[in-house]
Amino acid sequence: MFLRKDDKITTTQAAIFLTDTVLGAGILTLPRSVLEAAETPDVWLSVLLGGAIILLLMLVMVKLSQRFPGKTVYEYSRSIVGTIPGAFLCLLLILYFIIVGGFEIRVLAEVAMLYLLEGTPIWAILIPFIWTGAYLACGGINSIARVFQIVFPISLFFLILSYAMSIRVFEPNHLRPLLGGGVMPVIQGLKSTILVFTGCEVIMVLIAHMQHPERAVKAVFAGIGIPIMLYLFTIVMVIGGMSVDAVLRSTWPTIDLLRSFEVTGLFFERLEFPFLVIWMMQMFCNFTSFYFSASLGVSQIFRIRFGPVLFALMPVIFISAMIPKRINDVFQLGGAIGYIGIFFFALLPALLSAIYWIRKKGLRQDV
Amino acid sequence: MFKRSMRRCCLLIAAMALISGCWSSKEIEDLSMYAGLALDVGDPTPLERELERKGATYDKKNQITATIQIVPAHSSSSNQGDSSTKGKVPEFLNTTETGDSLFEIMRTYSTRRERAVIGHHLKTIVVSNRLLQKRGIDSIMDFVLRDNDIRPSCVVFVTEGRALDTFAKNASGTVPAQQLRDFLRNRFRTNRIMEGVNLTRLDALMRTRQSFVLQNVVAAKGELELSGAGVIKGASGKWIGSLSQTDVESISWIRGDGGGGAIKTYDWRGEPIVYEIESMKSKQKAKITGDDISFHVEIKSEGRFIENWDIREDPSKPKYMEKAEQLFEERLNAMLREFMRKIQTQYKVEVAGFGESLRIQSPKTWKKVKDRWDEVFSEVPVTFDIDLHITDFGSSTK
Repeated sequence: MFLRKDDKITTTQAAIFLTDTVLGAGILTLPRSVLEAAETPDVWLSVLLGGAIILLLMLVMVKLSQRFPGKTVYEYSRSIVGTIPGAFLCLLLILYFIIVGGFEIRVLAEVAMLYLLEGTPIWAILIPFIWTGAYLACGGINSIARVFQIVFPISLFFLILSYAMSIRVFEPNHLRPLLGGGVMPVIQGLKSTILVFTGCEVIMVLIAHMQHPERAVKAVFAGIGIPIMLYLFTIVMVIGGMSVDAVLRSTWPTIDLLRSFEVTGLFFERLEFPFLVIWMMQMFCNFTSFYFSASLGVSQIFRIRFGPVLFALMPVIFISAMIPKRINDVFQLGGAIGYIGIFFFALLPALLSAIYWIRKKGLRQDV
Repeated sequence: MFKRSMRRCCLLIAAMALISGCWSSKEIEDLSMYAGLALDVGDPTPLERELERKGATYDKKNQITATIQIVPAHSSSSNQGDSSTKGKVPEFLNTTETGDSLFEIMRTYSTRRERAVIGHHLKTIVVSNRLLQKRGIDSIMDFVLRDNDIRPSCVVFVTEGRALDTFAKNASGTVPAQQLRDFLRNRFRTNRIMEGVNLTRLDALMRTRQSFVLQNVVAAKGELELSGAGVIKGASGKWIGSLSQTDVESISWIRGDGGGGAIKTYDWRGEPIVYEIESMKSKQKAKITGDDISFHVEIKSEGRFIENWDIREDPSKPKYMEKAEQLFEERLNAMLREFMRKIQTQYKVEVAGFGESLRIQSPKTWKKVKDRWDEVFSEVPVTFDIDLHITDFGSSTK
């Protein structure tokens, strides 16, 4: 039942998998975090620039992974740097996935407790999510990808619908002037925009499961292109609808944008509720992806069966979600994850690639 | 076989735990929703005084009096259902409490009303100018901005006089809090109604610390009228004065965001003639020479010659049209001059969007002056170029 050898996904599925992994809490936190990094309406340029940088980094990951067909990063890092250092690097990666997964559901729980389920204890929100995530991950990557395929169009539709409705409060002047502060703020904004792409490391796990690993580049372009566009859209609509100053004074700017207007005549008068409910599914996908990647890692490094690992990680994820004591800690953790993410985006693949290259060209060792 | 069906049974029973519904659900019948919130300077009502005399009080300073307008007020269980409006169910119920924390006041309502109040459907907030003279708008609005039930879509008004008077019962039987919000829909008819300032917008305005205006409400005998605007000084967040209805029109001309309205003036015989605004556009151009800032505002409008009391004139003649256009332009110019005098010399605030134009057109200059923009602006020369164009004279040629 667990992880059949023929458990492969198509290129489209890989792209959606990647999109769902990247797109999560960022939609809710990005507008303010990026404006805190650079107080200018030009930050949408930072999103584009950040996305482009991520795409380049991901190409490195893809090229590296393609050298080891059918192997995940957990398996091939061992053959590049040796068993112990490889396992160490991978454990770091697993830890990172666990923290990010915990963070994503924590953000989800925070927003749900504030706007939807006031009075419901946090464990009652987190635990069903972890259980359902485990149930989904049990089915292997194929079932995960299929659920993502079903959920993604729905959440995408509601996201676009919500933003389209916010046109009524959209004020182009909020986005002007273009480059009023020069290019420097755009560069400063990168600090936070690169971070919202955390999760793209799963490509190093994903390629091993692709039916056509040679098409991975295509999957990456689609899988990162969609989040770039959606993040761009988010920034433009949220800043345009609320102005830089209002975003900076709002805890959850995207939700507040939807709370700033009422749509009379539509089935929903207040869009934040359908949006939040639908976006929960998206965050669930997001979380499951990290959960799956972490479990797969543990199972491959220690050569334990996948099922027991999945169950063993449940409390670990729960604890990691519960570590931040207050909302400030949650946001701080979000920032910290971004910085740790840079290591995994850039340094890990680069390091592995460099060592691989030296060993292959320099020592001509069989790797 | 038996074992399997047992397992199935157990599974089904376990599944029931999941269909128990929403943990945090509250029956809507058990809650009272308030559509309006009126904030006044702390001054307990006679009823409150009596309650307090009988011991119904707690540790507080009487800084703020908050009135909530609960809709609908169920007459069946409400002891306030007065019999004077015979057979007619009161549409709303006002409850007033005084204290020094808005949140505490909100919770105190629970000791006076059987259904807990909930802020999801708050539409309108009216703040009295006296309260705004005492405390900055930042502190007054802090709770409503922070609360997770109150939506930032609700609109803020000011009133000269007591805010709770604006929530009084009126002849039409409508809910004043909802009525006020719906007034804003009439912007297409008159530019004396400003674009509503919702909490998100207010939040942004307060953060920039620039001065701004809020629509003013006047109440008399239970009737409401939107009239003019209250000026909030950015630096202190306090109310410093009011603008007339004509000034509000001037703001819309300068910003070019009015949806409709009229210009009335008098012709050479002193008879009224009226221009119906069909479109208005304006361009604020900032000119910067060295450290000197100046503005040039180009106003373009098209409209209809809609009313003429002077029966001796023939408005269908092109010559008359040109003369009328000039009269309307003069009138508009006089309006704008008066408005500029008010904001530049009387109040020394900038509330007509010149700051925003400067921010967009010359971000560097803006950065230098934004912290003392009100003072800087009071010295800035502003010139107008008005071009009104009468397109037609309606369905009567005479």
